[in-house]
Amino acid sequence: MDVRTRPHAAAVFEKVTKVYRLPWTSRRIIALEQVSFSVPWGEVFGLVGPNRSGKTTLVKILLSICRPNSGHVMRLGGPLSDRATLADVGYVHENPSFPRYLTARQLLNGYGRLSGVPASRLRTRSDELLERFGLIDRSREAIASFSKGMLQRLALAQALVNEPKLLVLDEPCEGMDLPARRMLDEVICHQRSLGHSVILVSHSLADIGRLCDRVAVLRAGRLVLTGRVDELAHDAVLQEPQSLESALEPLYEGALA
Amino acid sequence: MKRSPILTTFAWLVRDTFRQSIAHGIFWVLLVISVLSILVCLSISVSGRPTLAQGDESPDFLSRRDPDSTNSEKLKSSGVIVADGNFALAFGALNVPLARDTTSAIHFFELILGGGVADTLGLMLTLIWTAGFLPSFLDGRNISVLLAKPAPRWALILGKYCGVLVFVLANALVFVGGTWIAIGLRTGFWGPAYLLSVPLLLLHFSIFFAFSVLLAVCTRNAVVCVFGSILFWCVAWSMNFGRHLLVTSNDLMSQGIQSSFFGSLVDFGYWVLPKPADLGMLLFGALGAGSEFGKSFDTGVLAMHGFSMVLSVLTSLAFAAVLLFASARKFRATDY
Repeated sequence: MDVRTRPHAAAVFEKVTKVYRLPWTSRRIIALEQVSFSVPWGEVFGLVGPNRSGKTTLVKILLSICRPNSGHVMRLGGPLSDRATLADVGYVHENPSFPRYLTARQLLNGYGRLSGVPASRLRTRSDELLERFGLIDRSREAIASFSKGMLQRLALAQALVNEPKLLVLDEPCEGMDLPARRMLDEVICHQRSLGHSVILVSHSLADIGRLCDRVAVLRAGRLVLTGRVDELAHDAVLQEPQSLESALEPLYEGALA
Repeated sequence: MKRSPILTTFAWLVRDTFRQSIAHGIFWVLLVISVLSILVCLSISVSGRPTLAQGDESPDFLSRRDPDSTNSEKLKSSGVIVADGNFALAFGALNVPLARDTTSAIHFFELILGGGVADTLGLMLTLIWTAGFLPSFLDGRNISVLLAKPAPRWALILGKYCGVLVFVLANALVFVGGTWIAIGLRTGFWGPAYLLSVPLLLLHFSIFFAFSVLLAVCTRNAVVCVFGSILFWCVAWSMNFGRHLLVTSNDLMSQGIQSSFFGSLVDFGYWVLPKPADLGMLLFGALGAGSEFGKSFDTGVLAMHGFSMVLSVLTSLAFAAVLLFASARKFRATDY
């Protein structure tokens, strides 16, 4: 995508509402209510909030995995109905799981083809990624034999196979050891250096503070705060630095009530 | 030239289904069944007259077990022929005297293979074994990443459906093609009618697997898919067979039922549901079995009640198409 022609934001959410209806009952759960914000190009955008605050629902809506009840969402400048834009998106699920009978190489080749990567490019791209994520020696083994950490690394590799312009990471650090976390940091920084965007959903405010440029806080389906991380990490009253945790703590209080 | 995402999705899902079947052992089990059947066919031999028909006349013969078959004078004066051939299995270890001529013996053998082993036993086993493919494919964690790919949702569900059909087609080709060649090599009989088992088996499977797909999309439960599709096959077969039995029976009770509300309901069920018994009749007819073993139903009477094989196949296919359409719609509207 040419910088001159690309839209002003990688993702735009406008008054997005999502209500789940429980089957066999008339009960409704409001997962998101009138959420609006945008993810600028070239930034790492953190999405935080307590459990059941709607973070995963929001990224699933962005990826067309579920549909909003109302509101408007733009993905890479196109509406959600334009599925072609998904060819430039990479996604890591919060609990990655892949067909257990596939090998890591078959998975990367297959998912790469589904994202529109030409077969000629895939061979070298798969090798690069398997090498980079330390899976090259196990590339011909069935995924069934992989540990959780290896699955996380494979999930990250498959999200990068199409060289995405928007990378969506939903709790990617879960089960990762220290070297894998370092790899993740490198990936995120590399995406930013290319001018691409990353949406990082995480419970770890330390990770968000370290990696993100901007953060949005959701609570009970509502957007309660958006801002630049460097601004939040500075106490405006005391005029001194503060941790992101202490800055966001008041927003988490009473979330379980 | 760049391939469209839909074609790429279909091609990948077909390959994926083969990998899944190999990993689950289904591919190997079906291959072993095919190889064993081919070996059985390679062990057969047949001796006797190819046909007992004389000219354009219908065959006029006596079984060798008939008491009159030993009366040579009577046979000579009447011109009736005695069936005298043998059908041997396991390289002659098991000899079965022919009830008629060699052609009918091979037709019968092919009917057992095509209608019994492939179209009934094979169909049931494949329906059971492949019923788990869709639910595991639609598992929330697995499918989420695929849903975030450019291909439309309907392409994912129909791609997987086609993948399973291609897998069944490949197995049907190996089984029917292999046994046909083996029978031809051993007996010199190369009648092409038996090859019709391949499209018939595929048609039969495609209809009932469509029901399994709908169950998978609605429940994502392999057990529901297995029992649901088998139960549905039983209901459809009973409705099909029962309706033909009803309309071809001459007794007063059947005629009474025909004219009642229940009769109309059976007729309605017959036309709406797929017709597995009719597909069996089609193979029976193609192998010429009707003239040799007697017909299940009087097709003349059935025709008076609107029966037509073309209509039967088309309505069965239409039912499968409606099921697939409903599955694609449901899948499109499902949040994961």
